Amino acid sequence: MPNQSGNVYGLTILSPIINGAAGDISHDCAIRDYLAGLPRDHRSLFAKVSSTHLARLVVMDDVVFVGTPAREEHLQSKYLVFETNFDGDLDTYLERMAREAPEEVNAVWQHCVGYPGVKDPAAFAAYMKKCQIETTYFFADVNNKTVQQTLRALKVQSGVAHFIEVNQGKSPSEIQAAFRQFLEKVRHAPEPLAGEYEGHPHLPARGEGASQRTDPLAEESEGHHG
Amino acid sequence: MTNINGKTYAMNAITPMKAFYTPILQLIFFLLGHIKAGQADLVNLSFIHFARWVVVKRHKFPRLSDSQPEEQLHYDYLLFFSNFNGSWNQYIDAFADVLSSGLNLIWRWSVRYPGARPVTDFKRYIALVQFDTDYYYVAYPRAAANDVKAAFRVNDALEDFARASKDMTPAEFGGTYLKFVTQVQGDLGATGIGPVGA
Repeated sequence: MPNQSGNVYGLTILSPIINGAAGDISHDCAIRDYLAGLPRDHRSLFAKVSSTHLARLVVMDDVVFVGTPAREEHLQSKYLVFETNFDGDLDTYLERMAREAPEEVNAVWQHCVGYPGVKDPAAFAAYMKKCQIETTYFFADVNNKTVQQTLRALKVQSGVAHFIEVNQGKSPSEIQAAFRQFLEKVRHAPEPLAGEYEGHPHLPARGEGASQRTDPLAEESEGHHG
Repeated sequence: MTNINGKTYAMNAITPMKAFYTPILQLIFFLLGHIKAGQADLVNLSFIHFARWVVVKRHKFPRLSDSQPEEQLHYDYLLFFSNFNGSWNQYIDAFADVLSSGLNLIWRWSVRYPGARPVTDFKRYIALVQFDTDYYYVAYPRAAANDVKAAFRVNDALEDFARASKDMTPAEFGGTYLKFVTQVQGDLGATGIGPVGA
């Protein structure tokens, strides 16, 4: 099935945008205006729908005229393109969007033709599927790992780098004792947040030694991100 | 407009195709999907998280209400969406260098496609058919595709090492630890936000 690569689903949706004005501005401008202010980090609507690897929303104004001898033509409607790559099955994902990010979904899709609202997640999923265009060819570089597995692997990788750095030059028995503690920390580290943008650099500031740097795993266990 | 989030760039492109070419392109994609060797270059490039091609036939643009005007199009359209690491120029250069024959196979059915080489004409064409992203979310913005793969290699090695070293004496542990460090040292680069525009 071309929409799927391994465990990752590649969803492509073209929602027709209502022609005309939404108050003072057109519906497409209202969508753009709203999206411009929407957080793109761990506060994103797609971080709430946590099975999302990468997603985009694009207002497609028109098709492109590539020059003569091509025929110039134009769309009758503008379309909201929703391109997303997520774990799991389509219905669950779409219903999660309606349940877990209703405010954002409503703010965006209320400007689209035939949008039923989010009160009934199944109706919302059915609407979205009417707008779905089957992916012709889908490529996923890593297609057998979930978002959470990926985030956790990246966090553990940072933790390993930090561990090796701060234990340089110690005796085998000291490293062994520290390693046992490290494994415990890895096992009990809370789930990392999706979409976290700023992060904490693990490279030292000038004049700063390895031992002064923050342990990436300790950051999580201290509840840094709430 | 926000084509970039962290280390990843969102590209959108749309090209017109004469409708009678569509089945040929669909057959090519079908074969590409079933012949693993055809994807090898894409995998080896290793800077694309996800990419997709979507053919929208001229009568298949979603129409959800009688009040929505019907599209009157002459062409089918090929949509391309990519999530890649690096700058726009690096991406197009690498694509044209490594995948020129594959690109030509896919886009030669699009009107006025100039070919992937020479790259100047190709870049001019991509710039013409590209449209910008309004909102872009990445669950792991600090990590490139290679960072993700490296992280899983480190995790696998850590699990193996933890299992093997469980009941070792300190002397045995010291030797095995060195082997572990040697094994993972190439995969420990720090992740973070790429330079502006990258």
